[in-house]
Amino acid sequence: MSEITQSIVLRADQVHAQTGTPARAPSVARPVRTVEMTSFGIAGRPTAVISLVTAVAILLAWWATSRFGLVSPLFLPAPAEVVTQFANIYRDGYAGASLGEHLFASLFRILTAAAIAIGLAIPVGLLMGVSRVAKGVLDTPIEFYWPLPPLSYLPLMIIWLGIGETSKITLLTLAMFAPICLSAQAGVRALPIERINAARSLGASRFQLFTDIVFPSALPEILTGIRIALGIGWGTLVAAELIASTRGIGFMIMSAAQFLATDVVFVGIFIIAACAFSSAAIVRLVETALVPWKGRT
Amino acid sequence: MLTVDQASVYFATRDGRTVQALDRVSIDIPDSGFVVALGASGCGKSTILNAIAGFLPLSEGTIALDGRPISGPGADRGVVFQKDTLLPWKTIADNVGLGLKFAGVSRAERRDRVEALLQLVGLADFSAAYPYELSGGMRQRVGIARALAPEPDILLMDEPFGALDSLTREQMQELLVSVWKRTGKRIFFITHSIEEALFLGTQVLVMSPRPGRIVGRFDPPFMRQFAESRDARAVKTAPEFAELREEIRAMLHATDTVKRDAA
Repeated sequence: MSEITQSIVLRADQVHAQTGTPARAPSVARPVRTVEMTSFGIAGRPTAVISLVTAVAILLAWWATSRFGLVSPLFLPAPAEVVTQFANIYRDGYAGASLGEHLFASLFRILTAAAIAIGLAIPVGLLMGVSRVAKGVLDTPIEFYWPLPPLSYLPLMIIWLGIGETSKITLLTLAMFAPICLSAQAGVRALPIERINAARSLGASRFQLFTDIVFPSALPEILTGIRIALGIGWGTLVAAELIASTRGIGFMIMSAAQFLATDVVFVGIFIIAACAFSSAAIVRLVETALVPWKGRT
Repeated sequence: MLTVDQASVYFATRDGRTVQALDRVSIDIPDSGFVVALGASGCGKSTILNAIAGFLPLSEGTIALDGRPISGPGADRGVVFQKDTLLPWKTIADNVGLGLKFAGVSRAERRDRVEALLQLVGLADFSAAYPYELSGGMRQRVGIARALAPEPDILLMDEPFGALDSLTREQMQELLVSVWKRTGKRIFFITHSIEEALFLGTQVLVMSPRPGRIVGRFDPPFMRQFAESRDARAVKTAPEFAELREEIRAMLHATDTVKRDAA
């Protein structure tokens, strides 16, 4: 009896092996050609390696250009020279202030202005998104000033507020206010009415609607606005420091340019690039921490 | 009792004409009644729901909940929407507890009540998850739990299962029947599925479009049968079910023909 069952089982196994019918979902034993839907554009494929190779190529080209004397060091200093100059400035300071003091002066201006701009622009933008009167009144001055290049009204700031920190911080605040304010408005506009209706039928008061629904709904757009604002902020900061300042990375660049110290100019440019890149990266980190749901609803 | 009395709604179109969306509709929803409004799109069923919810004022007529006239949305009427309206930045537990938070219920009490509600809709294990981690059917269950949380006097459901696949949809219908049985909540439910209306409603209102009006009222026994037997297939394949389904289908088609002839 047991022999018979065994042989039957055996035979069944053989049949199975012969026909080769897969018993389970096929796991890949032999190499197969996997396929996916044809995509268009980059479609999420990684670009980091290409970017890295490009960066190395640019550095190499820079090194080779100066190594073989293709361009005068007056226009393009060697990479080693820039590094040495950075060390010198770090050790001895530049134009009567240490590198830390220059950097702190720039950071202080932009961070103070960013704090004021964020603190003002978010409530104003949200209010303009929900209130017809607020939108009507505030649109006029904002739409007038924000397309202006900030440097065009810097002289006015200096006449009104003097040459000190106040004029620069005010200029930066104005430059950074508009993008955040506009993005907060866009965030309110993108808010689906069902979300508001759902909250109201759950008993939300007007204030609770604002704090629990409107503000968090607009937060992704607001953070995008802050990132744009910081980009504008760095540009405006350096320009403002070029014109009227005795401290700051922008001043350092301007002062070095007057002595044709191209290597110092390069040091300044790299410091600003690092700062601007870091601030954008920080906002991105804040984005992943605060709005992890973005693009996933 | 929720009473909709002679409700009419007119909308102004962009080119300045006036369109009647609802023509003297009267509905009574008794305590622990399950009233289903059934009709094709444009028959005004969502318009009624929006008016009861307080999102839309009436042109004529009145709506009263237990004698109190309705003006604007309120926590006494819970709404479940077709599109899920969960807040993506809040966990499932916090979404369900939102109405309680608005009402100022303490954190500890909120936690207990939310837990009980998640149990009711079978999502006790998902309280810490975020909406984007859940399937469509699960999100709608969260939506039901959220609407129930502030203990409303009536639950308004606007095609809540319309976007779900048909298997999930049947599961959700059965879940809703047990929720209704357990809570004894009045429900006003909108659908364009004849089968869904017959299976769920203790009262079915058949509506026809342009202008939206009620053309038939039925009191199907099937939901109570299912609540007893828990055998959905038996209920839905019974000859009486098919008979009533075909009768209503003929009725909906007839109103359609009238419209076509008129045009």
